[in-house]
Amino acid sequence: MSALYAQVLLNGLMLGALYACIAVGFSLVWGVLNVISMMHGSFVILAGYLTCAAFTGAGIHPFAALVPVALLLLLLGYFLQLGLINRVVSQPVLTTLTLTFGLDMILYNLMNVWFEATPRRVTLDLGRLEFGEVVLPLDRAAAMVLALAMTGLLYVILRGSRLGRAIVAVRMDRDAAALMGIRVPRVYAATFGLGAMMAGACGALLALVYPITTNVTGQLLGKAFIVCVIGGLGTVPGALAGGLVLGLVESFGGHWFGPQVAPLLGFALMLVLLAVKPTGLFGQRGYE
Amino acid sequence: MNTGRSVARTGRSALGILVALLAIAGPTAAQTVRIGAPLALTGGLADEGKKQQVAYDLWAKRVNAAGGMTVGAKKLKVEIVSYDYQTNEQRASQIAEKLITQDKVDFLTAPFGSGHTKVVAGVAERYGVPVVASVASSESVFNQGFRNLFGTLAPNAGLTDGLVRLVAKQLPATRRIAVLGREDVFPKSMAAAMVDAAKRGTLEVVYNELYPVGSMDFSAPLAKIKSLKPDWIFVAGYTKDLVLARKQMADLGVSAPVVTMVTGPAYREFAEALGPLAEGVTSATWWVPALAFRSDDVFGTTQAFTADFQAREKGEPDYVHASAAAALVALQKAVEKAGTLDKAKVRDALAALDIVTFYGPIRFSPNGMNAGRDLPIIQVQGGKAVVLQPEALKQGTLRPMK
Repeated sequence: MSALYAQVLLNGLMLGALYACIAVGFSLVWGVLNVISMMHGSFVILAGYLTCAAFTGAGIHPFAALVPVALLLLLLGYFLQLGLINRVVSQPVLTTLTLTFGLDMILYNLMNVWFEATPRRVTLDLGRLEFGEVVLPLDRAAAMVLALAMTGLLYVILRGSRLGRAIVAVRMDRDAAALMGIRVPRVYAATFGLGAMMAGACGALLALVYPITTNVTGQLLGKAFIVCVIGGLGTVPGALAGGLVLGLVESFGGHWFGPQVAPLLGFALMLVLLAVKPTGLFGQRGYE
Repeated sequence: MNTGRSVARTGRSALGILVALLAIAGPTAAQTVRIGAPLALTGGLADEGKKQQVAYDLWAKRVNAAGGMTVGAKKLKVEIVSYDYQTNEQRASQIAEKLITQDKVDFLTAPFGSGHTKVVAGVAERYGVPVVASVASSESVFNQGFRNLFGTLAPNAGLTDGLVRLVAKQLPATRRIAVLGREDVFPKSMAAAMVDAAKRGTLEVVYNELYPVGSMDFSAPLAKIKSLKPDWIFVAGYTKDLVLARKQMADLGVSAPVVTMVTGPAYREFAEALGPLAEGVTSATWWVPALAFRSDDVFGTTQAFTADFQAREKGEPDYVHASAAAALVALQKAVEKAGTLDKAKVRDALAALDIVTFYGPIRFSPNGMNAGRDLPIIQVQGGKAVVLQPEALKQGTLRPMK
């Protein structure tokens, strides 16, 4: 029985890392720009499609495709923000929400036309490690390590680089940052680009372990949303903690109460946190 | 003064519009049979919607090439009037309404899936318009008392009973079955049908759970199933879920001598997305191109339909294509028998229909569903879906999973 619980724990951690990876870019954009990017799920799936296309077309391994795909998404995000979203970024959150919602519909249906909604997957299976009764699927484990590495990289960028300090400064006080000579629109574009880049990296990893189809963009967005509320907005550790908590809750919930109840528990946890600690586990007051 | 003139002007232009409308509507209404088709051409069901569109078009081309549909003494061309409902339930209902009241279609087809079929059938029922449904197989759609709804798929139980019989015969050691289904109209009803069939066939149901529509992970139910050591794992869902479930089964080392996924292997996409992991997965389906029916409909034979399809699309048609074309064949036969486009008379002709088509026999039960027959059971062998049953079409025998 203990082996079964070890398996449930492991499953929860791996699922959680994936959730964290999905959410971290979304959380960054929401926290810094106060933009709820409805396109986030579609960005992840777009990257997934690109990775699948690179694999079926040219035999490129998803791990090798990860960096170019993530960079492509970075460019897409940067220019979308610079050209379009920046025009309304200081408007109330509903305006930016509507804009990204509209952009998402365009991207979503373009993907339906280009790639078709048929689920596809990179048909590589890396096998699994078995420790007695407990099984560790290698591709999920590798995806988890890479997801953690990418999240760590983002953390380092935010903490250590000039750009990262500028992003944090803009998040803290937009007007003061502008007075200090930070070009706020550029920082916004870079932030949105970084958010899209994380979505891109996540999509490349997802292509290995998850069927890629436009059908799931809404679900990905929903998970990112819950993770942000649980973990707190705009912080990398927050997204990581939120993702892991959600993964574990769903895994143990699914085990004890059946799969039907698992997603419900995630939402219940979100409600409890909103009532008790609206900033989330790692959020700071004032940035909720 | 001013008002008087504008009233006169409005009156004149209204009259003009009326005359114009009569001029347009008069002759065309008499010359074509208009069939409304709400289709999911964008959104989540876009691929399925396109399959229906292709099949409707194949049928319409054939009929029009033969001079049209015989209605009484006349031959009338057919026209498919379709709109994209964007996989949005509310919009499906609005479009059905628009097709009936504004486009004045004679008959309707239902969109993909049990859920959306129910919505469109509800609208059509209010206006007394006959609806032919090609991709709805759940009793919960046909037990609503819709008098005008006719579906070409046989009930779900027809799929599960055949599976239980086949497995009992060829792998008699099979005792314990685990059933996992998606909480959605068709898969839920399919999972329930499987549990019933299993109990009738003296199998022990060791696991019976539903997963919610937004599930992104199956590791929790699969870990549980693994610990129960079933002989047969049965999953009912849509292709995306089934691909993920099969992949996670491999990840977690969950296996059983029989693994059935409904309707996974019936779609080419299932094996394409899974590669070697699809090997050995069984399913039941309503139609496969290997069937060989002869008929006096516009297609004539199953092979002719497949050839028509292949001249235009890549790969082989699946049951969605065939059933969609067959729904219109049934409608055509009913109109020709009724000899009129009168909706009530065509409805009665549909209810009394008993024909063999390129797709197979069509005879609607009192609830509007096509009566069950010996439905094909398939297994992925060597990357292809191979027919295990019916006996006459057998391409291979059931192999246990490794």
